[in-house]
Amino acid sequence: MAKFTRKQLVVGTLPVVAAAPLAKLAWPSAAQGGQPLAVHEGHEHPRVGHAAMIGNQVPTPGGPNALDALLIPPPVLPHEPGRVREYKLTALDRTIEVAQGVEFNAWTYNGTVPGPIIRATEDDLLRVSFVNGGKHPHTIHFHGIHPANMDGVFEIVPPGGKLTYEFPARPYGMHLYHCHATPLKKHIHKGLYGAFIIDPPKPRKPARELVMVMNGYDTDGDNTNNFYTVNGIAFYYAKYPIRVQKGELVRIYLANLTEFDLINSFHLHGEFFRYYPTGSTDHFEYTDTVMLCQGERGILEIEFANTGRFMFHAHQTEFAELGWMGFFEVE
Amino acid sequence: MASGAVAAHGFGWRLWALVPLLILVGAVSLLASSGDSLFDLLGRNPPPVDEFDVRRVEFRPGEIKIRVTNPQREDLEIATVTVDDAVVPFSIDGDSTLGRLRSATIVVPYDWVEDEPILVGVTSSSGIETTQEIAAAVETPEPSGKRFLGFALIGFLVGILPVALGLAWLPSLRRVSPEWLAGFMALTAGLLTFLGLEALSEAFALQAALPGGLGGTGLILLGFASTYLALSLLGRLFGKGATVSGLALATLVAIGIGLHNLGEGLAIGTSFALGELALGTFFVIGFMVHNITEGLGIATPIADRERVSFGRLTVLALIAGAPTIPGAWIGGFVTNDLLGVLFFAGAAGAAFEVVTEVGRYVRERAPGGLASPYAIGGFLTGIAVMYVTGLLI
Repeated sequence: MAKFTRKQLVVGTLPVVAAAPLAKLAWPSAAQGGQPLAVHEGHEHPRVGHAAMIGNQVPTPGGPNALDALLIPPPVLPHEPGRVREYKLTALDRTIEVAQGVEFNAWTYNGTVPGPIIRATEDDLLRVSFVNGGKHPHTIHFHGIHPANMDGVFEIVPPGGKLTYEFPARPYGMHLYHCHATPLKKHIHKGLYGAFIIDPPKPRKPARELVMVMNGYDTDGDNTNNFYTVNGIAFYYAKYPIRVQKGELVRIYLANLTEFDLINSFHLHGEFFRYYPTGSTDHFEYTDTVMLCQGERGILEIEFANTGRFMFHAHQTEFAELGWMGFFEVE
Repeated sequence: MASGAVAAHGFGWRLWALVPLLILVGAVSLLASSGDSLFDLLGRNPPPVDEFDVRRVEFRPGEIKIRVTNPQREDLEIATVTVDDAVVPFSIDGDSTLGRLRSATIVVPYDWVEDEPILVGVTSSSGIETTQEIAAAVETPEPSGKRFLGFALIGFLVGILPVALGLAWLPSLRRVSPEWLAGFMALTAGLLTFLGLEALSEAFALQAALPGGLGGTGLILLGFASTYLALSLLGRLFGKGATVSGLALATLVAIGIGLHNLGEGLAIGTSFALGELALGTFFVIGFMVHNITEGLGIATPIADRERVSFGRLTVLALIAGAPTIPGAWIGGFVTNDLLGVLFFAGAAGAAFEVVTEVGRYVRERAPGGLASPYAIGGFLTGIAVMYVTGLLI
């Protein structure tokens, strides 16, 4: 309430020193320096650190397998140059629950944020039929190598319009796609993006494959994110840990599509991984933390040496505590 | 026969007075039943603001309690709660969906850090986050007899004591010349004007922070007009003629100051409760020095002729000073910004009414009237004294 803005605290000495003993009567406790609070003992509640929030304590919407379609990529196909890979993407305005009880008026591809995983093998002919079912003009802009007229920048698709994107899939690696209509910031933060995997001609080692798209949601329109997630729902993998086997090769296709914040990151507890930036070469880094700017992506390969529960999260702790954290349950 | 006709005529007239109301009820129900079709003519209704009114944030060992109210017409749902930009688990006493003006208390288990600023946020289902920053997290004591007494003691120190001390100037005032007495009367008017303006600006500041649904500046006018008119009426009851007697005027001044001190007590209590004061003895001393002039203001009108008993003087000191105590209790235990707006607006209304009375008194009784150098000098001195002593707070 009243902050006494007008009556700022005194600067200077006091003319009425005589009144001090009287005034001291008013605060016996203040005079003692507020000692009763120095130690909080005997808590009724458990201490709450982020490591403590797991399972049913975690506020997150959705059921146990709700995000499987965004986590598990379609199967890899062998190298057959010229084979046609078809996908259908429809832009839809959807209200989605992005955190416990919090609805977000999203613009989506096929109703989810992020959109569906697109996967092809290098030299496949990718054919993506796009229908704009939203209220605003949209496009699909793919990262990768393709002709200028397939770039999704100049060929704006109006509401109700259609466009088929067709180009050979290359180079191999982890890529992404997103809307490139203006204002770009709005079209991205509203949710129009997804993962785009191109497999190399010589297949990668078989692995337990996962896709993680890092994002944020500005739910109150102030150009800062209120929640951060992987695959679209805050704290989802804290409530439903991802189950993997000890010693099996786990491969994560990771992309950052967070708007407003300059970077995002991925940090794994209790283990190291090989990180292949963009996944288009054999070059890798051995680490437990990687930092990505928007549009940056890569492939992580992990073999867990220990069983148990291991956390993964953004190492911007603010993002972690606003939803971007989860667990691996290593069995 | 004739009187019966008059009565019937009178009755009919009263019935007619109901007709506009009945038509209004009809129109309102028609509009309500038509849904949004009228607004469709004008374009779409804007979405609700979906902001909570965070009423109070309390800190207990290992937990934070956030009292929120829904200030808008549409229902408001508590979806997530954050502390320092981190989503935290919480429980609610009651329903998570709040109807209009309904409140709920959110309990967050949290290891807060003593004396550090903290930011709590409540996010509605539509994703709008309402945040409230607390300057320093300090344990909120449970209401207890000791605390009750503590607020009473503060009220006594900043309210009653300085006013009583100011009244002790009375014997000295009796010896000054009529010109100087007029000057002191004008000084009273000056300090009351200062207090009135201060209270008014406080009322506006509080009102501006209120959520839109809880009323606009009209609320301030309501508080202001109520006490202004109530004191005018009281003045007429006290004095039989156009001007009031010295004692009556002193009583009015005391009431005006008392209302101001009620608001002041409220502000002090609230600030203590919310940990907003970088407390210390400075604060109380400042108020004491500031308020001693209020006692002078009450003493001046009774300095010219009447003998006033000690008992009456005590009553005057209590009228002016004692309201600080209930004010501090209300502020310390209840905290209600709406009440704060009304209190401060009321205090302003009372102060300006008393300024009017004092002005009239000076004009009619003082040598030279309002335009005398003593009156002008006194008025300006009153303002300056309040300003300078106000710097202490």
